[in-house]
Amino acid sequence: MGEIPSIGSRFWWVDLSMATPMTAKRAKAVRLLLLALSVASAVFLVTVGSVAQQPAFQPRLEEPEEYPDLPGREETFYFCVACHNFKLVAQQGMSRHRWDGTLNFMTERHGMPKLEGKERETILDYLEKAFPESEAPTGWQNPFLKR
Amino acid sequence: MARSTGKTERSLEQMYDNDPERTDAAVSGHGPGTSRRGFLGGVGLAAVGVAAGGTMPFGRHMPAGILPTALAQDKKSTPAAAKGPIHLDFPGKDKGLVVLGERPLVAETPEHLLDDDTTPIDKFFIRNNGQLPDEAKDPDKWTIKIDGEVNNPFEITLGELKSKYKPQTLRMVLECGGNGRSFYAPRASGNQWTNGGAGCAEWTGVRLADVLKTAGVKPSGIYTAHYAADLHLSGDADKPVISRGVRMPKAMEPECMIVWAMNGQPLPNVHGGPVRLIIPGWPGSASQKWLTRIWVRDKEHDGPGMTGTSYRVAINPMVPGDKADPKNFRILESMPVRSIITAPASGTRLAAGTRNVALRGASWAGDLTVRRVDVSIDYGQSWQEAKLSDPRNRFDWQRWTTNVKLPSDGYYEIWSRATDSEGKTQPHVAANWNPSGYGGNPFHRIAVLVG
Repeated sequence: MGEIPSIGSRFWWVDLSMATPMTAKRAKAVRLLLLALSVASAVFLVTVGSVAQQPAFQPRLEEPEEYPDLPGREETFYFCVACHNFKLVAQQGMSRHRWDGTLNFMTERHGMPKLEGKERETILDYLEKAFPESEAPTGWQNPFLKR
Repeated sequence: MARSTGKTERSLEQMYDNDPERTDAAVSGHGPGTSRRGFLGGVGLAAVGVAAGGTMPFGRHMPAGILPTALAQDKKSTPAAAKGPIHLDFPGKDKGLVVLGERPLVAETPEHLLDDDTTPIDKFFIRNNGQLPDEAKDPDKWTIKIDGEVNNPFEITLGELKSKYKPQTLRMVLECGGNGRSFYAPRASGNQWTNGGAGCAEWTGVRLADVLKTAGVKPSGIYTAHYAADLHLSGDADKPVISRGVRMPKAMEPECMIVWAMNGQPLPNVHGGPVRLIIPGWPGSASQKWLTRIWVRDKEHDGPGMTGTSYRVAINPMVPGDKADPKNFRILESMPVRSIITAPASGTRLAAGTRNVALRGASWAGDLTVRRVDVSIDYGQSWQEAKLSDPRNRFDWQRWTTNVKLPSDGYYEIWSRATDSEGKTQPHVAANWNPSGYGGNPFHRIAVLVG
């Protein structure tokens, strides 16, 4: 993919390092976007650079490969990280009916697009298998246990 | 840039083809139904800043459906997938804090970092539900609206609040409603707090009651509803991130405050600055950060975080893990009694032959006080009472100390158990299971190894 400028392989939580070739149209769009961003950044830094004092917290990069390799992983990962990091999902352990209820909660309370049909099944299958109901509380861990 | 075929990108491309809007939201930090602030206000901002060499303007003009590859970061800078706790790296915060989530940013304080009488700002836990708002440029011009069931609705700036009302400083515990959630079995939904969703700081501000009295609460005004300036993670600017409230008698307690300083410092943005509520003793979510409005209501508030099983516990005990009947739930008000051992840290190795170990800790009990704290070195077969301090003021925590004598070298667990002023003690296990895991307050348990 020589026509794509070498600009690094990822942006903050989505890994593009395993990319297949982009379409020419999309590659052109990306190049235009890059140009616009670099010009915009330069202008910004010259004019109002001193305003950029927001604490520089950088969320850790997440990628689907960190999580159990089961069918539906990518679909689930990218669906959830539209709003929140996937660690929030991965620290849960629930039965299918509670995962199902969680999807409803996300739609009703947090404006998640309604998941239906095959897509819902795919994501529920993944959640149920990757993060199943856990009978053991996670809260206390023996600090001397060699893992 | 090495490229090869792989599943990740294929599926991303497919997702763009199937649902460009949502995929763009996922990769850009825009929410679906993008608002102007959806991108610029996003946590993605910080990452963008690093990648582009500064805060990225005009992000909102990025067309949907284009992969924002410009936000690229070098693969080499990628931290390895984390095994075990992720420690916080945030300006002004202690690196010992443990990250429970990054978007939204949530971090807890391990018990051994709660060893100060007053929790320093850098060690204070962080709980956000949405995106951090931009830092206030002119804090004294920050405006709070008081309206609803009041005779004189008004707006007041923080500057006016400071000059027109009598300030007070109180040291009080602020505790996340979900503190202790990780002790539930089966696992309860939400951030898996151990005991570290709590801290005790000195808060400076004015009494909420004084402000409400100026507004003149009508007899019909029975509940408060709190609103803030943070932005929903979806980027929808019209959607409150969380909006909770309390019964009027609680709001009128003299310790409920609108605060602008923490431990004598201007309230940091990450802790809700320039101005927030402190509703001590009740779940932290009632203590709205970045406060912009208090709406006095004629009924129980029904904002996001008030309904369903959010911040609620079961009335009749339910089968752990079972389906919840929302009719069987009541709002969690006072937090339960809790104690922690703050020294030594769990995992401490002591020299062979060590027999005496000095313990320090803290305890608190929501609206109540702590009557006594006991510790055990033999899994609860025997207990000894610790020396317990009085609170400096209501809602302050109570520090405790004691010495335990270990009979031999080897592995010991030390447990602590507090009893509140109504005689309730912490249970062995997290009790009264509920789907979102509120009220989990089992004994605190540490392990030490002698020799």
